[in-house]
Order: sequence, then C-alpha cells, then structure tokens
Amino acid sequence: MTAPRRLRKELVDLQENTLKAFRDIKADDDNLLRWTGLIVPDNPPYNKGAFRIEINFPAEYPFKPPKINFKTRIYHPNIDEKGQVCLPIISTENWKPATRTDQVVQALVDLINDPEPEHPLRAELAEEFLKDRKKFVKNAEDYTKKHSEKRPAD
Amino acid sequence: MSGGGGGEDDQHLPGVSSASGSAAGTAGGRATPEMKRSAVRSLIQRYFHQLQSGCGNAQCSNANCASSGKVAPMTPNEVAARALQLFSQDAQLCEASTSATSSPQDVDMLSPNDSSSSSSGSSTSTITSASTTTTTSRQSQSTPAAVLAAVSSTNLVQSVPQLDLGGAEPSSGDSEPCTPTLPPVQSLDANSLMALYEQCRAADSYDRICHAIGDVFSSVDRLSKSFIRSAEPAASSSLQELLANPPEALNKEQLRTLEGEHDKDEDSTQQLEEQSESAEVTPNATAAADVESEAEADAEDDDVPMAHTTEGTSDEDPPQSSDTLVDLPGLRRVQRLLFSCQTRAITDKLTSSVIQLADWVHYLHPDWEKVIHCLVICFDLATNTNNSVVDMDYLDRVLPKLCHAAAAMPVPAQARLARIWAAHCSDQLHSLVAACQQQITLQVLLDEESMRENGSIISITKVLKIVFYANILASELERPSCRVPLEDRTEAAAASGSGVVEDDLFAYNSVLQPHMPKFAEDQLEKALQVSAIDCRKPLIPLEEFYNEALSENIQMHHDYLSYKTLAMESEIGSGHTNYFSFMLYAFILTPSTKVDALYYDSRMRMYSERYTSLYSILNNFGQEGQDGTPRPDLKLTVRRDQLINDALIGLEMVAMSNPKDLKKQLVVEFVGEQGIDEGGVSKEFFQLIVEEIFNPAFGMFIQQEETNNMWFNATPFENGAQFTLIGIIIGLAIYNNVILAVNFPMVVYRKLMGYCGTFADLSDWSPALYKSLKSIMDYQGQDMEEVFDQTFKISYSDVFGDMVEHELVPNGKDVLVGQHNKELFVNLYSDFLLNTNIQQQFNAFRKGFEMVTDESPLKLLFRPEEIEMLVCGSREFDFVELENSTVYEGGYTEESQYIQDFWSIVHAMPNEAKHKLLEFTTGSARVPVGGLKCLRLLITRHGPDSDRLPTSHTCFNVLLLPEYSSREKLEERLMKAINYSKGFGML
Repeated sequence: MTAPRRLRKELVDLQENTLKAFRDIKADDDNLLRWTGLIVPDNPPYNKGAFRIEINFPAEYPFKPPKINFKTRIYHPNIDEKGQVCLPIISTENWKPATRTDQVVQALVDLINDPEPEHPLRAELAEEFLKDRKKFVKNAEDYTKKHSEKRPAD
Repeated sequence: MSGGGGGEDDQHLPGVSSASGSAAGTAGGRATPEMKRSAVRSLIQRYFHQLQSGCGNAQCSNANCASSGKVAPMTPNEVAARALQLFSQDAQLCEASTSATSSPQDVDMLSPNDSSSSSSGSSTSTITSASTTTTTSRQSQSTPAAVLAAVSSTNLVQSVPQLDLGGAEPSSGDSEPCTPTLPPVQSLDANSLMALYEQCRAADSYDRICHAIGDVFSSVDRLSKSFIRSAEPAASSSLQELLANPPEALNKEQLRTLEGEHDKDEDSTQQLEEQSESAEVTPNATAAADVESEAEADAEDDDVPMAHTTEGTSDEDPPQSSDTLVDLPGLRRVQRLLFSCQTRAITDKLTSSVIQLADWVHYLHPDWEKVIHCLVICFDLATNTNNSVVDMDYLDRVLPKLCHAAAAMPVPAQARLARIWAAHCSDQLHSLVAACQQQITLQVLLDEESMRENGSIISITKVLKIVFYANILASELERPSCRVPLEDRTEAAAASGSGVVEDDLFAYNSVLQPHMPKFAEDQLEKALQVSAIDCRKPLIPLEEFYNEALSENIQMHHDYLSYKTLAMESEIGSGHTNYFSFMLYAFILTPSTKVDALYYDSRMRMYSERYTSLYSILNNFGQEGQDGTPRPDLKLTVRRDQLINDALIGLEMVAMSNPKDLKKQLVVEFVGEQGIDEGGVSKEFFQLIVEEIFNPAFGMFIQQEETNNMWFNATPFENGAQFTLIGIIIGLAIYNNVILAVNFPMVVYRKLMGYCGTFADLSDWSPALYKSLKSIMDYQGQDMEEVFDQTFKISYSDVFGDMVEHELVPNGKDVLVGQHNKELFVNLYSDFLLNTNIQQQFNAFRKGFEMVTDESPLKLLFRPEEIEMLVCGSREFDFVELENSTVYEGGYTEESQYIQDFWSIVHAMPNEAKHKLLEFTTGSARVPVGGLKCLRLLITRHGPDSDRLPTSHTCFNVLLLPEYSSREKLEERLMKAINYSKGFGML
C-alpha cells in the first residue's frame, strides 16, 4: 500500500518519539491514509480517561489538510456528537503544507485541555461551560468515566 | 546671438498676425473656441487662395504662392489638402502689402514635405542636409528647407536660432502682442516653465508664458525636446532671453547641453541617438548624411516608423522599450500650476496649441518617436486632472484630437505608447479610460445615427485599445504564460505512452488553437506579445472598458456586416479598407451586445447552410431515394427515457458523416410529443441532457467536493467519443443561444479558448490546493527539503477514492522540492492536474466544441469569463429587472392591481421558487447574459377566473395567466404550476 512519502515518515517519527498525550498510533493495514491514536489529556475533567481519534489524510497530503474524528464520545464544547472537531490549524483557510501531524495533534490536545467556548460546535455545552463551570465539569467527568477508554499504564 | 532667427521671425509674422487678427484679435487673450475656429478657417482659406491665385506680387518667391510660379498645377481638391497641410505647418503666408519684405525668407517656410509633393524636390533635400549639420535635428516638419543664403548666414551663428525657422504660432491671438518681439521658444522644461510663470505672475502679464507654450506645444519638434527627464535640468536657450533674470536653471552648462550635447539626453533612444550622429557629421560627410536622412524621410512617408532599424545601428528595438524621456513628475507639477492659474489664457493657449499639434500629426505622420514623446506629454496633461472646469475644457477639446493623432500611428508606435503608459503612467490609466469613455459616450449621444462611421468615436476606440493593452502590461502578468502552446506537452504525453490515442471517429483534424480569422488578429496584441488572458487581476477591471452607450446604440447587425465585409476583403486579399468593425475592438462591447454579434453570426451560418441544402433538395427533385437528400436543419429525435443514448447516437451519426450539418439550426423532437421546436423544445432538451451527462453516476464527470464544480473524470468508463459528443452539445448550446446549468471551473473555458491551465487556475479549481502550493512558492527558508519533505511524486484520489500516484519528472520520487526547483514543482503539478491528467478527455471534448464553433467569432469576442456567462448565464437573479422589462397583453397592464399582486407574490418567493418560476416560463433556471431584463417576459391574460393552472410558452418566454378571483388563488395556482411542471403539454 502506498502513501505520500512524508506521511510514512511522519508515522514512523510519531511512533518512535511518542508524545505523552498521543499514544498507540497506528495506520490502517490496508490504508496508510487512515490513522488512529489515543488522546491522553492532562487537564480535568478529561484526565480521567483517554479518547480514540481517527485521522484521515487526503491523497493530496500535505497539500490538503487531514480531517480528525473522535471515535470515543466526549463531553466538550468544541467536539460535536458525531465526533467532528473544528480545529483551526487544519481548516482549509489556515492549512499550510509545512504543518506536521504532531503539531496538529498538539493543537488538538490543547483544545481538549482548554475548551474554547467562543467557537463552539455544541452551543449548549459552551453556555454551560461559561455560566456554570461546576456543573459542566461534573457532567464532563461523569461522561468521561462512562464513555472514555482506559488511560495507558505509564 | 539669435539675431538671425529673431529677425526672420519678425518678417514673416505680420502676415500671420494679420490673418488671425481679423478673427481673434478683438478677443484679446480670451478668444472663445468658436472665434478660434473661425480664425483657423479663414487662415486655411487664405492658404487656399494663395496656392490657387497667388498674392499678386510678381517678385513673390514663396514656393507656396501661385505668384512665385513655383506651385505645381493641382486639382482643387489637392489644393485644399495642401492648404490644410500648410496651415498645420504654419507655412508662410504672403501678404500683398508686405510681400516685398518677406520674400527673402519665403522659402524658409517650405517644409521638406514639399519635396514629396509638388515643388522643388532636389534642392530642398540638399538644404535639409545643410541644416542638419548644424542643428541637432533632422526632423522634417520644422527643419526648414532653408535657402542657401539663409544657411550660409546662420551657419556661423548658433545652431539654435536655426530651429526657429519652422515658423511661429499662426492661429490664435493670445500671443500676438508679443510675438513680433520675441524669438520662438525651442523647448520647455518644468523648472523653466515654472520660473517663467512666476515672472509672468509677478508682472501680471501672461503673454510671455502663452507665447512660450504656443511655440512649444504646437510643434512636434519642439515639444519632443521638452520636459526631458535628466539628471541635470535641461533649459531652453530662448527662454534665457525671455527671462530678464535667468533663474538658476539657466547657466552656461545647461546652455551647452542644449546646444551641443543633445545626444547626452538622447542616448537612451536609438532613434534620437542616430539623429545626433547625423548631426555630428562633418561637412565632408554631408552628402552621405543627406542620403541617409533622405532615405529616412522617405521611409517615414511610407509609414514605416523607426527607420533606423534598416541601418542596423540598433541593438534594441524602441517599440520593445518602455523608456520615455518625459519628465513626468515635473510635467505634473507644471500641470497643477498652469491649470490652477486664474487666467485662462494659458490653458486656452495650451489647448489650441495641442490641437494644432495633433492635427499636424494626424495629417503628416512625422517621426513617430518624437510624436510619442509629445503624446505622452499631452495625454498626461489631459488625464492628470482634478476635474476642475478648466481641466475639463482642455480634456473635452484636446482628447478627440489627440486620439486622432495617436490612432494614426502605425502599430509599433502604438505598441511603444502602450509600453510607456504601462511603465510610467499606470496611475493615470484609470482617468484616461474614464476620459475616453466619456468622450465616446458623448459622441454616441450626439451622433446616434451614424456613430459607426463617426471618426472621433473610431479614433478614441483605437486609443482605448492602446490603453487596454497598457492596462494589461501594467498589471501583474502570469508566468509562464498560459498561451504557451500545448504542442510540447502533447508530444511529450504521446511519447510517454500515457494512453492509446483515441479512436478518431470523426473526419476532423483537432486544432490546438481555436479558429481566428487572419484579418481579425490583433496586431497590437501581436506587437506587444501580451493578451488579456495573461492577466488575472488587471489594474483596471476590464469591465470598465465596456461602453454602455456605444453598445446599446451600435445596431450590431450593421457592425456585423462591416465585419463580414472585412472578412471578405481579407479573403480576396484587398489590402486597405475603409470598413471599421467594433467586433475587432470587442473590449468596448458589453457581453450582451457581443451575444448579439454571435447570434447574427450563428443565424447567418444557419441560413446559409439551410439555403445550400434546400438548393440541393431542389436539384434532386423528382428523384427517388429521400435518404440522400440533406435536411435543411439539424434534427434530433429522442425518447425521453433514452435521452442520452438517442442524442449521442444521433449526433455521432451527424458528426461522422457530415460535421458541417452541426451548424444547421437545431430542431429537437421528443418521440410521442407534439411540441414544435421554436426554441423551447431544444431548451428543454439541453436542460435534461446536461442534467444526465453531468450526473456523477454517468461517470464522465466528477463533482469536486470542495467547490461543487464538475471536472473530467481522469479514469472514465466511456471512450473519448463520448466527450466529443458532450463538447458538441456545449457548442450547440452556445450556437443555438441556449443557457446551460453546468458548473465548470473557469479553467475549462480558458482551455476551450485554446489556453492551458496554469497554477493560477487552481485557485477556483481547488482553493485548498492552491493555497498550499502558494505557501510553498512563498517559502523563503533554505530548509525546504526538511520542512516539506516533498518529492516530485504526487498523489491524488481517483473516482473510487483510491489513491493514485504520479511522478512529475522521471524518478520524481527521489527528487526533493527545494528552493531551486519549487517553481518547477508547482508548475508541473498544476499542469498535471489541469492538463495532462485529463488531456485525452479534454481534447476529445474540445474537438466536439470546435466542430460547432470553429468558424464563429467566439474567441474574437469573448474572454473566458464571458464565455462562462454565455454558457451558464450570469448567476444573479434580479427580479426587479425582470419586472421592469416585462410586457403585458390581453388586458393586463403594469398598473393593473392583479399584475402588481403577481409581482409582490413573486418578489416574496424564496430563491428556489424563483428559479422554478424562471424555469417554468423560460425553460432555463439560469439568467441569460445581460441579466433578466434580456428575457423580455410577456404575461398574457388567459381568460377570466377558472381553475386552470398558469401555463407558459418557454420558447417565447410567455406566461399565460388566467385572471383568478383572488390574490390567494393566484399564489396557490402559481406555486402549483411551477412545482409540478416538467415536459411539454403535461398540464
């Protein structure tokens, strides 16, 4: 199976120098353009679990940006119920071919740790986040415990 | 020092001043244009009489006076022409009373042009050379054909006064009071003129500055030596005498510059340099130099500019150069000063002088390099305005004349002017366009009847073309040009064996460039090697070159006839023609007017095809075997459920057997339906077939996710013939004036016009990809290889979503993109996506398109963006425009309450319903070129209140509307009709 040269290299790099917050990176056996990995956030309320994501690279990578989808359900103002996330760094307007996947993942981890309620995908969560932080944190924690994957041992 | 020159002037001036004095003298410095015109007329009359009858003095030696016996016999018409010539040269006028005193200098007034016309050919030429040795100019118009006596006397003196011989300001009275006492001013520059102005203002008398302006601005020779850009400010020696206290600008050094070192300034243009060469020749070499300048003069007469090229002295072709010596900043300072002056004497003088100069240029075609210098100055004065009344006066009167002059220039000179404007006056182009448009509009309104023959309009249009190209040149041009022929790529692709060449079903040779008749080729475009297509973002939007008034009044069928006449003349090879067609100046025509032109062209061809086939039917009359007889139209019989197959098979038959039949009028018949095709049925046919062809499930086109544009499927299931047939259909739609609902990216239309797709085309093909590649182009670091880690192997996904890889160069997978090759990478990548990857499909597609449109003036008239509008209609929906252009019948009027209700319902409809209403009434959901107003919807009363639904005749854009009892019912019935309609006679 073929893949853009850079993508293969990026995969190897990420697998060798694992990010603390992004583990278990794999490419599909029959499609190197589809990766999965585990997001391991540091900040509460998401630090009680880990979240599986899927990264889909276009054939034109790196000239077109990848797309990210959450496979694990998450209670987060910037991620909708289908797992879609709106990440500026990979929007068509902002995408730069020099941007590397580790930067994209880092941006995603930052967003998970610190939600941006000003640009929500789920307005009701954003409102809760702003108006009643305690309730939001509690809901998110409950949700995380219920739906998220186990965090890696180390 | 200038005694000789001044004296001579003194002597011939009285004749002039008395001539103009009769009309303009009374007005002092404030002659109105009318008075000046009558002064001019009476002057010309005097030249005429002098040529015909003479001044009556037996000793008269004026070669242009019948009394001298030197005037060759001429017909009255020739006399008149000559009189006009003499007028523009300020030639000597005999004065019955003063003829004795003026006689010695009379011959001085002879211009070398005389040698070509009537009188003393051989003697003038030697004299020309004599003066050339001492003056710095061999310029024809004011280099006097001095008599030998004059030469010998002035030879010893300064060279400058000799230039005076060209004659003084003849016409208006402004400068009169002072001319007798002042020598003519040879040149002006910003500083000296401003200093002079200050002096005049201090003295509260503007005579001297008027005099100076009159002298300089009325003479090509003098003006071409004025406002020279240079490190050291040039000065005028004559001005030195004008100024009691010479300003700092006038010192010895500058004087020397003027007198002996003209070449310093002139080095930069070959033309002038050569002049100074000939000026420097020693007397021994005079003869040789003489021959040379003679040859040049002859060459110029033949409208061959830049005669020096024949002498092989030039390394650089002036038309290729954008250099100008004009000191534009200085000129603009002067302009502001003069035009803000309280007295209008100066600007009036300027105006009349420039008009004189322009007339002169128009009739006599002098040295174009000098004319260009003058035109740059004069046009800049005209456009660098701040819209004050004075400016406008100058503009209104001068611009048509200047345009006459500029339009008379040969193409290389026009090209040179375009380059200069582009390089130095790009900030003025906008006001130049506006000024030209204003003049054209004005002239059109004044002369609606014969605007197509109006010389001013034609000249200004020609100048507007120069501005058009200057605008393109001044804009950012695309590199590499998309006009690079595809041939190389084609060959390369064929060599690489990227696919078997399509089975060529059709007896048709694929042409790479769309047909463009030879006579219609734009010579200016050729000379400048630039085209509107090279420029993605013109400095001035090209829409500003449309002239609405002209387009509306042009009566395209007349202009089309001129076009056809030109075409015929070029076919039979007759060279010069008086016909003028605005179709060759398509930039000035609005798209809807151009659509008219295209329409006439299509109709003409349809009729001629029809005539041919009727003729052959008649020939075969009485013989059996109808199959052999050609039809007068292109008939397609299709079944609704087999639309594509039937249409494609039908068209394939025609295309294979007789492609010319495609140019007959299309008539479509749906099997089992009785609609007669007056246009409506074929409209629906196109609509339906386009829907199916572009359905991604059909597999020929894919819809691009990002933009919703349709693009060729690089791995199609169908063979090339299918694409050819689709090309035929697109061509037929244009040919038959039908709008299609297709969403092609712009590059498709550019490619149809014979250009290749380039990087810039990616911006609407895939904005994301474009941005990414742009960021690679813009990246300046030396670490590109590490940062991007990109090789010359790229990948894309095919129609199934599978990834396909492609190496842009052999072994591309091993070649990294770096600073040195990033541009190559981007260009190859774009080329691959837009050209080579779909080349087979596209070539087949274009072949079909060309089969229908190859003889049409499509490419001549339309830019790719306009073609898109032609195919798809414009994308905006202005129903108010539709309402305003709608007409009524059967009892409705625009005032009736019922109709007003109808429109308020329509305006309140959501966009989608509006589309449907449009489709219901016109058969197409797209807006035609020119907007909805061009539909001319007709609403007819269809009986009194009933339960019938509204109906329509799509071929004539008629809506049949029963007069329902209430507004509510009207709305209900209308919505029902537009939501449930498809096909003919269903309701």
